[in-house]
Amino acid sequence: MQSQSQAQGPGAVPAGGLFDGYPAAALPGTFDEMFDGALARGPFARVAQLLAKMSPDELARAQQLAETALLQQGVTFSVYGDARGTEKIFPFCLLPRLIAAADFARVERGLQQRLRALGAFLDDIYGEQKILAAGVVPAEMILGATSYRPMLRGVSPPGGVRLHISGVDLIRDADGTWRVLEDNLRTPSGVSYVIENRLISKRLFPRVMDAARVHRVDHYPTRLAETLRSVAPQIDGSGDVNAVVLTPGPYNSAYFEHSFLARTMGLELVQAPDLIVDGDKVYCRTTRGPKRVDVIYRRTDEAFLDPEVFRPDSVLGVPGLMRAYAAGNVALANAPGNGVADDKAVYPFVPKMIEFYLGEQPLLEQVHTYVCLFDTDRQYVLENLDKLVVKAVDEAGGYGMLMGPQSTAEEREEFRRRILAEPRRYIAQDRIELSSCPTWISERGTVEPRRVDLRPYILTSREGPWVLPGGLTRVALQRGSYVVNSSQGGGSKDTWVMKETP
Amino acid sequence: MISRVADHCFWFGRYVERAEATARMLGASVSLALDAELPAAQVWRPVIVVSGEEDEFRQRITGGDDDHGAWGDGEIVQRFMVWDEDNGVSLARSVHGMRWNARSIREVLSLESWEAVNELHLWMRSDATPAIYAQHRDAFYQHVRRSTQLTLGLLRSTMLHDEPLDFMWLGVLLERVNQTARMLDVHHHAFTNLPRRHEVVETALWLSMLRALSGSEAFLKRAAGRVSSEGVARFLVSEPAFPRSIAYCVHSAYGRLCDIRPPDHHTLPGGVSLERLRVLDSWIRAREQEPLSGTAVHDVLTHVVDEVHEICGTLGKELLGAD
Repeated sequence: MQSQSQAQGPGAVPAGGLFDGYPAAALPGTFDEMFDGALARGPFARVAQLLAKMSPDELARAQQLAETALLQQGVTFSVYGDARGTEKIFPFCLLPRLIAAADFARVERGLQQRLRALGAFLDDIYGEQKILAAGVVPAEMILGATSYRPMLRGVSPPGGVRLHISGVDLIRDADGTWRVLEDNLRTPSGVSYVIENRLISKRLFPRVMDAARVHRVDHYPTRLAETLRSVAPQIDGSGDVNAVVLTPGPYNSAYFEHSFLARTMGLELVQAPDLIVDGDKVYCRTTRGPKRVDVIYRRTDEAFLDPEVFRPDSVLGVPGLMRAYAAGNVALANAPGNGVADDKAVYPFVPKMIEFYLGEQPLLEQVHTYVCLFDTDRQYVLENLDKLVVKAVDEAGGYGMLMGPQSTAEEREEFRRRILAEPRRYIAQDRIELSSCPTWISERGTVEPRRVDLRPYILTSREGPWVLPGGLTRVALQRGSYVVNSSQGGGSKDTWVMKETP
Repeated sequence: MISRVADHCFWFGRYVERAEATARMLGASVSLALDAELPAAQVWRPVIVVSGEEDEFRQRITGGDDDHGAWGDGEIVQRFMVWDEDNGVSLARSVHGMRWNARSIREVLSLESWEAVNELHLWMRSDATPAIYAQHRDAFYQHVRRSTQLTLGLLRSTMLHDEPLDFMWLGVLLERVNQTARMLDVHHHAFTNLPRRHEVVETALWLSMLRALSGSEAFLKRAAGRVSSEGVARFLVSEPAFPRSIAYCVHSAYGRLCDIRPPDHHTLPGGVSLERLRVLDSWIRAREQEPLSGTAVHDVLTHVVDEVHEICGTLGKELLGAD
């Protein structure tokens, strides 16, 4: 795959004003999203020029205004384990992350291809399991994964869709090449921040936005509602589809988003006790008696979905929900069982899936991954622990990880022991120098490079995958950090996908 | 609509109204303490009694002593009624309850109503607010009153006028019936049993209570300036055009419930609550023909408060998903 860094057009402008000193602070061996050396990248020249004119004072004021607005609107997440019910705003940086039209077009095609393959894989693995018979993927890796749900084999989802809502984490390496870091195919979150961040940009930078010609993102809820309706089970062909959003409740850290999506789609937000299953059909308890439910966008983790099938101690669950699902009487978005396709142990085989199911070459690169189950890979990993990033396959959010280059000898020894004890639980990857992006540092009133990733959102209806032209840019706000997770000091940025120049 | 959501709507309405009523009553009491020649305990004790937290206050604050100075200490009473987290009807708890219910139905509220609720919640918790409370008590109560009034206004002007709003308004109205009834009951008892009845003092007291209900101007228009205990009682119980009278609130609540659960839809849940509210509505209207003085006032108000309590319980079971 060729390098994707944008050509340096004639419009390139030198850094200055707000960006004075930015090029000098560039992180070594790192692709910067906005500047190539001292010059702003061609497609972003105009925006860079306009932003550069802002003074640090203006930016500080704007940042303050935006944070107050977010707090007052209650765009917050709940802090777990806080008895007073403290809520915080998701830290964010008001300087946007820009993506050139041509770049995003490639990403879009790559994501659509990847989602088609992952969907085919799930159908296969909960069906005939041809890919295992063909020996393309080791059966042990799949059938041994805790995320594989044998009881779902043979159950086909209403509407034939399993991956209604996906978020795929992308990073850019030192060459600017986009690489998939992780697929999120269960209940990916964050899209509400994409839309809220855009509202802030529009309020703070109306002139810059106008000049930049940016794709809108506010139609996401409408597309999501269409996607949900498109997979309703065909009951009797009459009446409206009743789709609802299922939340674990106000104490869940992502409650704002659940509520946001229900509100912007005009759907009811329900909690498990609102739902009852009778005769393998799902109903909602209303002030006028039970009302039939056809589609559930569930933001409850599948382990808590139905105490009859999964965790019997779940109070967040709806007893009998899986029976109704298996009978084809209710669609669940996303389908239960998807976890096996975004398992870190399965990730290394996605390029092979694309070839196997689609007969195509992968359009998107991913990060080279060593599978500790394989003898040669394990040998290499154990010899290079100080260079690699080691991940436990069943942990997320940046936990259970060894960042080799920053690790101590004791930490490496601990991981060596763990890998040898349970090789299947571990994978390792080369550390990628995540690309950087100009980021406002409030404490110093300066703009400095910070590392970012990108989570685009993909909706899959009966017609196939659709990619939102935008996404959640997460930024590691700590200097030198590679960890963008919000639970560990990450923030977000508005992501501007530029339109094609006419 | 979902029963749990209806329950949140109903309680949201009750808490907004309760927060406003508390701020209103405390503000009026501060003013009364300044200009009436009354012993302080006769200004502040009724505040605790109206709130229904007399026992709580006696046990926790006065150590069981009915002659304790705290009963007449405006600062202690106000702290208890504003900030005390263990007092279930303190302003802090009402604002918290209003915001918690609102957040649980965030998708039901309009953005503007939600912002008004959230801003009051943040303001109550902000570092600057205790200073306003300490230095500008009146401004403090005024801020709370205006925020709740803004919320109620935005609900009406920015939300669909359908079931969720009906449930919110049902909560507001039933809470308001309670507030008016208790306020009148406590003060009627106290004012008509003053040791030495003095017309000027009594008039000042009644007007102060009417101000706490935002009703002094309306009352004076109806009464052509004549202030009497029977006149005030009659006005607050029966005046059909005053939005805080018991007759108005009960009748409007009945109208809301008719929208939620039409009387002729016999198969829908809610029939028992509806019938009970209808009976209360006509009972109150019948009181217009009866004399309203002395113990009759207490009897009427006790019946109203008891019935509203029962109706809320039935509503909970029939429509709001309570077990």
